[in-house]
Amino acid sequence: MDILEKLQILGAAAKYDVSCASSGSKRETNYGIGSTFTAGICHSWTDDGRCISLLKVLFTNECLFDCAYCINRKSNDIKRATFTPYEVAELTMNFYKRNYIEGLFLSSAIKNSPDWTMEMLYKTVYLLRYKYQFNGYIHVKAIPYASLDLIRRTGFLADRMSVNIELPSEKSLKLLCPNKTKESILKPMEFITKVGEEERNFVSAGQSTQMIIGATDDSDRKIITLSQHLYKKFKLKRVYYSAYTPVNDDPRILKVEKPPLLREHRLYQADWLIRVYNFTADELFEKDENLDLEVDPKVMWALRHLDKFPVEVNKASYEELIRVPGIGIKSARRIIKNRVFHSLDFDDLKKIGVVLKRAKYFITCNGKTYERHLIDTVPEKVKLQLIEKKAAEQKVKQLSFFDSEVFTSVITGEI
Amino acid sequence: MYTVFLYDGTFDGLLTCIDKILSTHVNEDEVVIAEKDRYQPMFFDSPVYVALDKNRSQELRQKVISASDKITFKKIYYCFLSEAQNKETYIYKYIKLILKHGKKVKYLYHNDVVNFVEKASKNVSREIGKYMGLMRFSEIKNGVLYAQFEPTNDILVPISYFFRERLKNFKWVIHDKKRSKLSIYDTKMIKFLNDINLNASFSDDENLYQKLWKLYFKTMAIEERKNLKLQRQNMPKKYWKYLTEKN
Repeated sequence: MDILEKLQILGAAAKYDVSCASSGSKRETNYGIGSTFTAGICHSWTDDGRCISLLKVLFTNECLFDCAYCINRKSNDIKRATFTPYEVAELTMNFYKRNYIEGLFLSSAIKNSPDWTMEMLYKTVYLLRYKYQFNGYIHVKAIPYASLDLIRRTGFLADRMSVNIELPSEKSLKLLCPNKTKESILKPMEFITKVGEEERNFVSAGQSTQMIIGATDDSDRKIITLSQHLYKKFKLKRVYYSAYTPVNDDPRILKVEKPPLLREHRLYQADWLIRVYNFTADELFEKDENLDLEVDPKVMWALRHLDKFPVEVNKASYEELIRVPGIGIKSARRIIKNRVFHSLDFDDLKKIGVVLKRAKYFITCNGKTYERHLIDTVPEKVKLQLIEKKAAEQKVKQLSFFDSEVFTSVITGEI
Repeated sequence: MYTVFLYDGTFDGLLTCIDKILSTHVNEDEVVIAEKDRYQPMFFDSPVYVALDKNRSQELRQKVISASDKITFKKIYYCFLSEAQNKETYIYKYIKLILKHGKKVKYLYHNDVVNFVEKASKNVSREIGKYMGLMRFSEIKNGVLYAQFEPTNDILVPISYFFRERLKNFKWVIHDKKRSKLSIYDTKMIKFLNDINLNASFSDDENLYQKLWKLYFKTMAIEERKNLKLQRQNMPKKYWKYLTEKN
């Protein structure tokens, strides 16, 4: 089989892995080829609008396991291929020097045995780092059930490692993933966290994971609570959510016509809120099990707490400011720096780059509301205004929330 | 009536010019600075040409950095690289502000001069950021990597420094087709040149890897998630001309 065919098979098999980050790593050497860039760099965007920053491939798609949601499962009759470490290294180097990519994302199905597979990943990364003296970004998967020693040795060569948690609950895992147990996933994850805390240069850009959403009946609340746990307990850098794309016809999987992209988008927003904005999962959900698809989770929270609004821009603390829908970390910092010099009105806010589209319903400047319009205290009315505005701006007849035209930002990477 | 000052088109030339203006007594609002070769004289103008003086520009550079910081100075440089109209005059006024207020100027967003410099420099740094990812090199017969692009702003210098770090073991050439400028790196240092004639053909590997990359690019798109609008938003059409995967 030639390299073109291998790349096609093993690239296609890896495309459902959502992590694309190439950021957060600092490796300083005076020798060798390439570098990493703290902010990460996107090198292209595919027809689905997702960025390509790494050469994302599987080492092999021959699998011993038979997970219901996976295209590469044992029971599927598909074309199989396996790279050699040398082939992956050559591809990476040649793509890298042409500036097609920022580095390598190497995952794999489990062929022969977990240890055999992990060893192949290790060999590939070793070849890149030592024979080719490659200093670019490398993200490599830790294979469940592989020996911790192999994982450890690989981790010293990689920027990032990840173990896929796959599904948000043990029950779902048992249902769809008969060969994996909760332990087989959490054990290596915990191990990577532990070594990372003890050793320098081990997985310097941290650990991430990904889970599939929409293939089982797990609620958003369950998903976000789990993520919160993963951030706290395992110090993960990122949890990625992947709207399930139906690749297999399996009765155990919930019927999905189209991948639930809007739900995925809302989960990323909620994830951002717990990771960066100090929200807790309980705060975001209170009595609900799922996120509101019509408005983003910060608006959802604000609507439930209208008594905390409006916030006075010239007096509010940083913590209060970042909870205003439409005001992010950057805007909040700018507001605080600028109001030292003079008090801010709505024009000033616009000048320093604060977007008022949503914020205007929740703030005052020196006691004044935006364009003298009254701030409503009835949540339903505020919500309606926010949604109607959006519909008018989008110029669509009537919002269909599953229409992919409605939202254009799919956040998958941190770059 | 305006007092027109002309400079040679280089950044150091502009700094020399501004330093000269700062030491003469002219009304700030009546100052116009223009590039010598692009300047179209008006009937009543009597332009003054200020020749490059490295010591003088170096002096002003130090003065600005010590009054503010390196990041602020970089903003001025990036603004200079932009194609914004009247950028020279704005840079002059911005430097005056820095010498008066120090690095606090960056918080004076409501000031038109500050706003102008912030916007222009952000535009430039954004374009540099895009090209870090979207520059495409091809390997030519002697193993040299060759890239061409047509940036909106004059970013050949900063982008070349980025690739010096990135591709430090390779010989490469980056060609700004729009301005007919080149940077050449020989694994030790970069040389900046004006257009020379390049005649080279691809190496044996080149066609294979272009084919592999195109195939990979196509393979990675998930049909069920197709969203061409989002693709164009992230990767506007103006970049496509030199993108291997889009040709």
